[in-house]
Amino acid sequence: MLPKYNILTEEQVQMIHDESIKILSEVGMEFEYEPAVEVFKKEGLKVEGRRVYFTKDFIEAKVKLAPSQFTLHARNPEHNLVCGGDNIIYMPGYGAPFIHEADGTRRKTTLQDYENFAKLAGASKNLHMTGGTMAEPQDIADEIRHLKMLYTSIKSSDKCFMGSAEGRERAEDSIEIASILFGGKDVIKEKPVLISLINSLTPLKYDERMLGALMAYAEAGQAVVIASLVMAGSTGPAAMAGTLALQNAEVLAGISLAESINPGTPVVYGSTSALSDMHSGSLSIGSPECALFISASAQLARFYGVPSRSGGGLNDSKIVDAQAGYESMMTLMAASVTGINFVLHTAGILQYFMAMSYEKFIMDDEMAGMLLHYLKGYHFDEDGLAYDVIAKVGPGGHFLTQKHTRKNHRREFRIAELSDRNAYDTWAKEKLDTNQRARRKWQEILANYVPPAVDAALDQKLQEFIAKRTQELM
Amino acid sequence: MSAIFEELKQAVIDGDEDITAELSQKVLDEGINPVDAVQQGLIKGIEIVGEAWKAGEVFLPDVMMSAEAMKAGLALLEPEIAKLGISEGEAKGKIVLGTVAGDIHDIGKNITGAMFTAAGYKVFDLGTDIKPEAFIAKAQEVGADIIGASALLTTTMVGQKQIIEYLKENGLRDKFKVFVGGGPTSQAWADEIGADGWAETADDAVQLAGRVLAK
Repeated sequence: MLPKYNILTEEQVQMIHDESIKILSEVGMEFEYEPAVEVFKKEGLKVEGRRVYFTKDFIEAKVKLAPSQFTLHARNPEHNLVCGGDNIIYMPGYGAPFIHEADGTRRKTTLQDYENFAKLAGASKNLHMTGGTMAEPQDIADEIRHLKMLYTSIKSSDKCFMGSAEGRERAEDSIEIASILFGGKDVIKEKPVLISLINSLTPLKYDERMLGALMAYAEAGQAVVIASLVMAGSTGPAAMAGTLALQNAEVLAGISLAESINPGTPVVYGSTSALSDMHSGSLSIGSPECALFISASAQLARFYGVPSRSGGGLNDSKIVDAQAGYESMMTLMAASVTGINFVLHTAGILQYFMAMSYEKFIMDDEMAGMLLHYLKGYHFDEDGLAYDVIAKVGPGGHFLTQKHTRKNHRREFRIAELSDRNAYDTWAKEKLDTNQRARRKWQEILANYVPPAVDAALDQKLQEFIAKRTQELM
Repeated sequence: MSAIFEELKQAVIDGDEDITAELSQKVLDEGINPVDAVQQGLIKGIEIVGEAWKAGEVFLPDVMMSAEAMKAGLALLEPEIAKLGISEGEAKGKIVLGTVAGDIHDIGKNITGAMFTAAGYKVFDLGTDIKPEAFIAKAQEVGADIIGASALLTTTMVGQKQIIEYLKENGLRDKFKVFVGGGPTSQAWADEIGADGWAETADDAVQLAGRVLAK
């Protein structure tokens, strides 16, 4: 693994921390959920209505309770993931309401899209888990979407997946489904299997849905990503350092809640802060500002001793084009080289989280593969330095017919899967650009993918639970 | 007298709420015609800012602050205009805006409100988490032309549909145009629920209002 690079000095990290504490203690934060406010009251914090005023000691003591890394367990233990340390976890985009087709047309997402992305992530060598809400299944009634999504995740792949963050009840359903699959609530409390995305409502608020889910997962010992997306210039100041301090304050408050409910709750420090485009007001994530927030977030999480989440193949383009590529590589690379551990939105995102694209998913998967290779860095062993073969070939020879070459190239080099490295004439036969090649590729992957089977008795139990809940909810 | 109109115009262009309010108070104190102050001062200023935004010369915060300044002036001048019983002159239209029930995201709605204000509409912003009956009560109270409903979540979009259903149930569907917008919405969604308009951006929404109300 390459060393992680820091963009802030130690003094600057300390300044951000101090500013965040000042925000939390003097301005305070609002929690739109009474049980959360109660938790803080019991901890002895000053509370006025829904507004909670934190202290430095409280925040620092609570953040210390969070583990520096934890293992997320998968149905297939080969896909267990360590979140934290030097590890990086890539996964698909999350929460988009639209699909952008290869020709640029836009349509609503469906459960079939969700399943397709779960399968594409399941089949990928570069994506470590399938994620959650890869596409919002808008063809399914809102009340039971979470049940369908979880079941589809389980059936489509044996990699780790995410729980619903849409309020306490849906979080509890997610926990119930996971405990059926993994053998009971006690089992998953010891070995977390779900990770869910809790977002603040910037500036300085958390809403009822997110707090309900956060509390349910913390009680059940499941992992939570506590994330803030400050849009500098609109939901935050037009100031990079100030926005970072604001984001940091929100994340620290969320972590302190999780650790108050259940000390040792696995949490991930999350950020997708970016900016509001100052002409239109819209979010812009394919930007150098976003890359700066990603990089600083990795460093802040290291400062607090917790895993980090940020980055991804982030961009503002509407189709797989050069903009989608160059913006995504900037943000995915920033996340990867600064030490972000949990990279939500690695694959598929277009137009500032508004859309998923199958072609973009494949392009991002290639970029993820390139970056995983880059992160491995150099091999400094005997084969890696290769003195013997250099000596053997000597001046003026070549290495193509050396055993060393045949033996080592697969370790030393990555084989491109989407990029076209052909000569002109070969390429010119079809003249396919990235978008068209990616389209062909995802269709092939889906056609050939066989999901790992779920034990029939377990499957039966899952289906029964979902049928029962569907009846109750509809 | 025209000097103060020029100052009002400039205060709106500068996005200076305090000076706009001061000048508007001066208009009242000195018995200057408040309709002229609105027409030749406030509106002239906001028009210039709107044009400059379209040309890419000024940015969103400029437009939004100018809209705030204009509102501060109108808050003082309008009661006087009403008291005098004279016509304020034709606003382009009245729009009641809000984020639907269950949804508390409001950045997009606020931008839309400012853009409508900048384009010469009277905007009544109800805020967030607004139930259908509250939208309609306000629309009836002010005689709105358009009800604009915003939603950011796929789970709250249905609130837009409920507004249209509520209007139909109460025999009011033809009284107001209903515009919907927000991240997960689309023209297809607007068609599905029978909305009169959808736009992806605040600027598009203003253009659309111009077309719909001209019909």
